Amino acid sequence: MEKHIAFTESAIVVPALALPSREIGACVEFSGIVRETEHDRALAGLHYEAYEPMATRELARIFDELHAAHPCAAVVFIHRLGWVPVGEASLFVRVLAAHRGEALRFLAAAIDRMKADVPIWKSVAART
Amino acid sequence: MSVKLLAFAQAADGLGCRERAIDCAPEETPRAILARLAPALDPATLRVAVDGAYADWDTPVGAAAEIALIPPVSGG
Repeated sequence: MEKHIAFTESAIVVPALALPSREIGACVEFSGIVRETEHDRALAGLHYEAYEPMATRELARIFDELHAAHPCAAVVFIHRLGWVPVGEASLFVRVLAAHRGEALRFLAAAIDRMKADVPIWKSVAART
Repeated sequence: MSVKLLAFAQAADGLGCRERAIDCAPEETPRAILARLAPALDPATLRVAVDGAYADWDTPVGAAAEIALIPPVSGG
């Protein structure tokens, strides 16, 4: 499985679709958007930080594990760092597979695992 | 030996910085290091990573180059 994992301080630019083979029948994409309200507080945005080397390694490990259960051809993962205003994407994930079932299950599980184990944090106040 | 200690998110507030060089012995555990350097931080509320991988609080750090304090994650 192809794995592309990136972190960016800039607005996420959705990469052009690149099919690794002619056997791709499903492309599933998810964008996580910063909402205005969190815990009944109105926010201007969120600040994200990551332990990047470990986060990259953990994501690769998780993707490999998920691939065994839900075989997919490729995953693209982009997470924004720094200040992300309300209405902009903090996360983009694209999964390519032969069939939609594997792609959808891989995507859902990947996001759940990220939220449990990958060293990325959001906060309402900027940290320096 | 000298080891780089990293702290992220609220753990950085507890440590008072995001990164510092510390002296420790190979047989010292992350739990003992935390108690020595940041007693206000509760290891029950954090995970620890040694050289970029989750580790046990009670396993000696050995020849580690980097120890990271990992509060509950919240990506996405």
